[in-house]
Amino acid sequence: MIEIEHISKTFTVKSKEIRALDDVSFTVPKSSIGALVGHNGAGKTTLIKILSTLIIPDQGDARINGISIREEKKVRKEIGVMMVSERSFYFRLSGFDNLVFFGIVQGLSISEAKKRAKELLNLVGLSQFSDIQYMKYSTGMQRKLALARALLLDPPVILLDEPTLGMDPVSSRDFRSLVKEISKEGKTILMTSHNMKEVEDLADKIVLLKRGRIVSQGTREEIMSSIGKIKVVITDSIPRGYEKYVSGFVQGKVILRIPEKGIEVKGEVIGEEEPTLEDVFVYFTDEEIDSPKNRRRGGGFRRWE
Amino acid sequence: MGIIDNLYAYIYLRGFKIWITYRTQLILNVLSWVLPVFTYYFIGTSLGDKVVSSMHFKDESYVSFVVVGLAFQGYISSVITTLSSRLRNEQLYGTIEYYVLSSGGVLSFLIYSALWGFTINTVNAVMILLIGYILGVKYNVNLISAIIIIFLLLSSSLGLGMISAGFTMIVKQGNPISFFFATFTTLTTGVVFPVSVLPDFVKFISYAIPLTWALEGLRYALLEGYSLSQVSEYVIALSLFTFVMIPLGIVFYSYAFKRARYRGTLSEY
Repeated sequence: MIEIEHISKTFTVKSKEIRALDDVSFTVPKSSIGALVGHNGAGKTTLIKILSTLIIPDQGDARINGISIREEKKVRKEIGVMMVSERSFYFRLSGFDNLVFFGIVQGLSISEAKKRAKELLNLVGLSQFSDIQYMKYSTGMQRKLALARALLLDPPVILLDEPTLGMDPVSSRDFRSLVKEISKEGKTILMTSHNMKEVEDLADKIVLLKRGRIVSQGTREEIMSSIGKIKVVITDSIPRGYEKYVSGFVQGKVILRIPEKGIEVKGEVIGEEEPTLEDVFVYFTDEEIDSPKNRRRGGGFRRWE
Repeated sequence: MGIIDNLYAYIYLRGFKIWITYRTQLILNVLSWVLPVFTYYFIGTSLGDKVVSSMHFKDESYVSFVVVGLAFQGYISSVITTLSSRLRNEQLYGTIEYYVLSSGGVLSFLIYSALWGFTINTVNAVMILLIGYILGVKYNVNLISAIIIIFLLLSSSLGLGMISAGFTMIVKQGNPISFFFATFTTLTTGVVFPVSVLPDFVKFISYAIPLTWALEGLRYALLEGYSLSQVSEYVIALSLFTFVMIPLGIVFYSYAFKRARYRGTLSEY
């Protein structure tokens, strides 16, 4: 279980203060998958690094299976981390040697590390490539190896920062299956992603971040229903401030996908659809119509328990 | 987690196994160890041994003098520059965060990284001493004195290495400590000529560096067979450096990491 309570973090860059996280609180229950979604710079990676004890928060606390992140040594035993970096391995060592190395560094003996490396290479489907140098791995293989490293000590909580970044669709699908498989074993997973389909497919709980603040959170169903249905509307021109709802053009006219909840626009309604997570993301995270009024109408800042 | 397991990981896997994949670099490394010996051998044979007469060795040979200097100069740079460059490399590789998360933490990472530098420089030192033997250097070794001085040279340099690594964590590039030890040790520490020929104010700097004491002590231990009591002044000086520098190093290194974790700059380079 991951419990995050009122975490705030400000960075100073060239004497300018940047609020990376602002009073962030949410919970990911045991054995479920939580997803952090937001624009670049929304604070997702900062939060993952705070939970990993790599960044110290200014305020607030988080507990991993009841252990505070302030108890660094203890909490590190509870987590496996996969960072966004495409490097983070020794390019000239094989996948197997890399896993053995990090296994020993994390506290395993040589024989334990070798045994675990074999098991994990098998789990992530890399056993036939175990003796190949890491630098010859494809992006998908590199990401799978990174997941294997996060599992070396079989921790109950896994933190994944953009795990499928740069992967082709087939590799992404394989990777998602792996994450599901791991989750079924009872592990609690918190991931970040820009891939809405991936989040829809995997996440039990979704947290939408915008400029370091939570703008919406809930179960997948709660999040999807929070903006009502989507009206597909055809208009002659793009209404000011509604550029983000444009989904296409036909015969000189504009097709908009407008959430029914509280937003109205003049035009011909040609259909009504269930919202996708992308619709929810667009609604909550764009700047232009993000007035306090619209936030209230959209139900932002709900606390998910 | 045992020492043997860590040695296997750091020395064999991350050190040796990667090192031998860079074959050209391996050959160049060995050449860079060996060639200076011949350079100074010919300087010695052409200029004579007068420069080292002030050291009062029985064998007043410049080649003997310079062989010991070159053999052990690498030790201090192995600890100081290896640590800071290792840290920087790990930042570039993107692996530094995984060391922070490891059970041994960043201190363990630093010490085992220094051991790889020590291993490589031991090979370097043995090769240089062997070439010296071929060139006519007559050794009269007191092994206990030599081992204790080498150990104290490493331990006294470890604190400086930690400070240097801490600088790398803060400034990323342009590390003043590494720069000083990479460029000034040959000039100031009596590697290729005795400190006694230096101007007085430079001598003051020389004796503030552990390598100067270690080289003088090692020459007596390796060339004159001096016992531990005969090299006691060097042992005491190096012990003092160790007791002062290691706590300073730990404090500064820990501060640098904590600062990076507050600022979120741990993996920045």
